[in-house]
Amino acid sequence: MKLKTALSAAITLAGVTAGGQALAADPMCGANTGEAASGDPILVGGIHGNAAPGDFSAATDAAKAYFDCVNANGGINGRPIEYIIENDQWNPELAAQAAAKLVNDTDTVALVANGSFIEMAVNAGTYAEADIMVMASACAISECFESSNIVSTNQGPLPSNLGAVMYAREELGAENIACIGLNIPNNGIWSCEAAINYMEENGGTGSMALINPGAPDVNSALLEAVSSGADTILINQPAGLALAILKAAEEQDLRDAFNWIAPTPLYDLSIPDQVGEYWHGDVYVNAELAPFQVNGPDAQNWIAVMDAYARPEDPRDTFAQAGYLSAKFFTEMMLEMDPADVDDRAKVADAIRAIKGKTSDLMCGPYYVGDADFHMPNHAGYMVKIIEGGYEIVRDCYEYDSSYFDPHLKLEAEMGLQ
Amino acid sequence: MTRTQLWNWALYIALMALILGWLGWGKPFKIQGLFLASGLAVGSLYALGGIGMVVLFRASGVLNFSSGAAGAAGAMTAWQLAEWGVWPPATWLACILVALAITLAYGRFLAPRLAWREPVVKAVATLGFALIILGLVSFLWIDDPRSITLPTDKMGIKFLGLRITVTRLIVFFASIGIVIGIWAFLAKTAIGLQMRSLANDRDLSALLGIPILKVETIAWGISGVLAGFTGLMFADLIRLEPTVITFMVIPSIAAAICGRLDNLALVLIGGLSMGVIENMLTLSNALKGARPIAPFVIAAVVLLYSQRGTRLTFGGRE
Repeated sequence: MKLKTALSAAITLAGVTAGGQALAADPMCGANTGEAASGDPILVGGIHGNAAPGDFSAATDAAKAYFDCVNANGGINGRPIEYIIENDQWNPELAAQAAAKLVNDTDTVALVANGSFIEMAVNAGTYAEADIMVMASACAISECFESSNIVSTNQGPLPSNLGAVMYAREELGAENIACIGLNIPNNGIWSCEAAINYMEENGGTGSMALINPGAPDVNSALLEAVSSGADTILINQPAGLALAILKAAEEQDLRDAFNWIAPTPLYDLSIPDQVGEYWHGDVYVNAELAPFQVNGPDAQNWIAVMDAYARPEDPRDTFAQAGYLSAKFFTEMMLEMDPADVDDRAKVADAIRAIKGKTSDLMCGPYYVGDADFHMPNHAGYMVKIIEGGYEIVRDCYEYDSSYFDPHLKLEAEMGLQ
Repeated sequence: MTRTQLWNWALYIALMALILGWLGWGKPFKIQGLFLASGLAVGSLYALGGIGMVVLFRASGVLNFSSGAAGAAGAMTAWQLAEWGVWPPATWLACILVALAITLAYGRFLAPRLAWREPVVKAVATLGFALIILGLVSFLWIDDPRSITLPTDKMGIKFLGLRITVTRLIVFFASIGIVIGIWAFLAKTAIGLQMRSLANDRDLSALLGIPILKVETIAWGISGVLAGFTGLMFADLIRLEPTVITFMVIPSIAAAICGRLDNLALVLIGGLSMGVIENMLTLSNALKGARPIAPFVIAAVVLLYSQRGTRLTFGGRE
């Protein structure tokens, strides 16, 4: 964590020396009046999962920092946002309680920057029933992308897998991939199947080796992938498990026998040091939001907001970028609404559904919501390679090409975004 | 060796050959070898955890669920010291010392207060202690990808085309060496005799003047050292995640049960068999989902087999 903070400081410094405004400028938030908001707060909720073995609170941390910045800069037409954060602790019961508290017991108008493996699966029905919109940021399961009332700024494993596999097929000559996923139907199986389907649609083939979350040993899944006849191994795992797989592969000296690709979880600033010299230059990772060296105006503003309003120990990672974006798009939408309607949940939900064409240098494509039973606005990204001390961009923003996105592209065309 | 024991060994060998042959059927020998080598390393860790439990249980009557958490705390300390640039061997030693200190602290200050309680109460108390340690470790080190690498990971031998690292060999031979060493310690030394006496009848041993606290402290110490060593090896070979290392104790219990909480050689064989079968199950599409329960199914089968022909009555066991 200290490494992450140090690296984020280095990134900020790089932004300054590159001629950006970064720390030199004040953060820009909401109406940016410089005057503190007062009056009755507008209630907004957020749910994250934070307990052993994973912490998904980076997105709500970043959203809170942004809302604090908004409140210090005029709020929503002078009124502050009260951001109420709940922790599901990876427990379905607590996830349901958190949603009940925020949706039924509190007059929240929307939920922003949610991040969890659990809560979306448990609460998607609750959100639809109450017709409250969730502008999530750290989604990892199918319910988060295939529900009417949840939309996320992050991609989750499915598009990020597709981006990695597409790059491997086009640039590394991959013909047969083995996807090492978690044995969770709405996560590992769902996202590995999409990668295999992509290969089959393009004349290749694929298979999956699943790790049971309860089994400590990852070696057997790696060996299963190795024995599948694949030429490319897709490590579709959280960073800790991905590290364990790479270590087991190093032990068997398997680096040169396969292409090694991974979705976004392996884009973590502590990874290049942790994987060691053996892997530098040989692991390709899809980044669902802009890599840190891109450092456009919004990326610099994100760091400025974090430095001014977040705790020093709050992560500056991809989920934090996604949380910042959700909070920013939500605030912009609220500022565009009639001030008399901002407490009306139904009207806020309609306004969120009407969001379209929001852009940021942190995202490759435009952000939109729309009125549909599915939402996946972010389906383009970068490809990076792990090198000593960081990541090298090997492919700039590119759209993922898969039949999975046909309904999304149709919706975009209907909304005039194509 | 009695005729029954010979029959049991023959049955075990035949069953293992049948299971492994069935699971590996049609797969190239190299692939089978990879799974076997991987399973032996994991099984060695299960066995090491089980051995530590049995040694302590025999001396103190405590089934210690906190050894995994002590190992996790030790492994995280080793990682932290390595991050600070401490000389690597000192970090490995620190891992063992931290696990030893945690285990001794419980054994010296908390366990005596529960000495006269039922075995279940003693076991549940160690589980509570494990959760406290895990909570503290998770508080000190937030969730982040981490790894421990030993120099022996880079060294390896080629055996029938597969590479086996020296770390895996260390774990495998250490588990055998520790069983032999502890057997010799229990059989040949005065402290070992006192431990066996305590295991046999605690009240009578106290009346005979055996220094119970001293003997138990030594047993907790052995358990702590084993927990530290196992934690370090687990962090290197499997992964450095406190929760995963803490709950490594679960399959270790299954290994200990295979030895009926008494026979160290059977704990070793049970642990190794569990690791190998668990890994080889990956080769079966139908059964790979059952991997996490494999150790417990094996332990249950062993228990049922060892209880055959006996029945519980009001007077005890016949």
